[in-house]
Parts: sequence; structure tokens; C-alpha cells
Amino acid sequence: MRSGTLPVALLCTALGLALVSASPGATRLRSVLGLAGSAGVAALLPTSRVSPDAIFIGCWISVTATAAIIYLRRQLQLAVAIALSLNAGLWAGMVSSESVSRLHSLSTLLCVLIWVPASALVARYGTVPVKVASSWIIAVAVMAATLQLLPVTPGYLPDHME
Amino acid sequence: MVSVGLWGAVLGRPLLYVLPMVFPAMMAAGAVLGMFVVPMPPIEFGIALSVMVLGGVIAFAFEAPVWLASVIVAMFAIFHGYAHGKELPSAADPVGFSAGFVLASGLLHVSGIGTGLLSSTPHGVVTIRAVGAAIAVVGAWFLFRSVSP
Repeated sequence: MRSGTLPVALLCTALGLALVSASPGATRLRSVLGLAGSAGVAALLPTSRVSPDAIFIGCWISVTATAAIIYLRRQLQLAVAIALSLNAGLWAGMVSSESVSRLHSLSTLLCVLIWVPASALVARYGTVPVKVASSWIIAVAVMAATLQLLPVTPGYLPDHME
Repeated sequence: MVSVGLWGAVLGRPLLYVLPMVFPAMMAAGAVLGMFVVPMPPIEFGIALSVMVLGGVIAFAFEAPVWLASVIVAMFAIFHGYAHGKELPSAADPVGFSAGFVLASGLLHVSGIGTGLLSSTPHGVVTIRAVGAAIAVVGAWFLFRSVSP
């Protein structure tokens, strides 16, 4: 069945990797607060009028865009960091509200903290490891988004084993 | 996958990191083709050829320019992605499956890069070329099996 855990985890991981290029301190703290706040609000919003497929595909597009930012910018500005965090929180909250376990999905917001080890890696080896990891995330997001466009039974729907 | 990382390490920067970034991107493109079952040349043949060619370029220490190495790896990545993509729609957890194979591929690239670091040791270059030759022989065997009736 459909789970929001992995989409939210990948979205927050992509955000965490993007925040590596933000100035430490205030920018990252405000971004995390923005992420948590918008995710909390979005998780409580009624989403019955929005198609679950649209929510999930929006989340995958956000994952791709957030991971792609890593290639486009050298230093992440405060406004961009906040915008990315609010966007990530919005989709994370909406996806969580569609998930079987809302709390479990929201707990993966902690993946944003990947910036801590990622910053250490960048300080030692440069931005290459972060760019390679973001290319993996983009690949997964593109495949997951495409799956929703297929005219066949996707794996997250009940199949012959359920 | 190991050959991609190994060849990147042998060729040095920028291919050291360009190849492990090109591969997942083109693998995803190949997976999309596989999901829509777009007609392609025989996939097993392409995968076997990739093992033989990538092993061969390491064995012969072929110093390809950046564009050529990227094109070779991208072309073979499409075959690998296609094979995975064709299985994806019927997987029990397709998102987990895609994350798993992308992560596994990436870690195999990293292990190839790690093996490539041997080149700075006294017998490292010979060892790496021997590993490449062994990979090419296995690839030739896969290729033979893929075309034999």
C-alpha cells in the first residue's frame, strides 16, 4: 500500500543536502523551523478535495527541484532556503496526511539533519559527494513520479498478494 | 557498476565524479523507457556488452575524453535502467525498489572508486588492469550466453 515515509524522507534529505550550501546558523535554523511549521500546518489541513495522486506527484516534483538546486547555486540565500523549506514542509505534511501512519511519516522530517554529516564531508572533499547523492535522489524521484503516470497497476495499490 | 567507478577513478577528475552522476540519471531515463515498454535492442545483450566494454577499457587503460566516456557510460546505463524499469510496475513497493537499486548502484560505483585508489600503490596500476581484464572476460562470457540459443 502507499506509504508516505520514503517520499518525505527523500524530500527532507534533498533539503538537508541543499542546506549544506547555506550559511551556517540562522539560515539553517530558520529553515528547519519553517519546515517543521509548514509540515505541521499542512498535516492538519483537510486534503479530501485534492487527489492523493496529485499530492504524491507534487511531492516527487519538489524532491527533484530541491535536489536540483544543489547543482544550480553555490551559496543558498536565506530567502531561497526558507522558500525551499516551506515548500518541503507543505508537501511533507500533505503526503503524511495521506499516509497510513501520519506520525511515522512526519518523523522522517529529521532526515533534514543530514546536513550535519554532509557539511563535514563537504569541508573535507568538496561538494562532489553531495552532488552525487543528489543525483541518486533525482533518479529515484523521476522514476517514482513516472510510475504514477503508468496505465498499469502500480505497486502501491493492492495487488495479487494482498 | 564497479567498472564505472573504477574507470572514473582511473581517468581522474572530472570523470571521477561525472560518471557516477551520469549513470543514475541515464539509468532513470532507461527505467522510464522500461516502464512504458518502449522497444529496445536486446537488453541482456546490452548489459553483457557493457560489462565487457567497461572491463576492456580498464584493462587497456583507454584514456577516453570526458565526452566519450560520458556517452559510453550513459548508453550502457540506459540498458541497466531499462531492465529495472520493466520490473518496477509489478514490484510490491516500487518506490522502495527504485531507491534500493539506485542506492545499490551508487554504492557499487563508490566501491569501484575505492578500488581505483589502489593505482597510487606500487603494483596498483597492474592490479587494476588485471581486475579490468577479469571483468571483461566475465562480460564476454555473459555476451556469449546472451547470443547463444
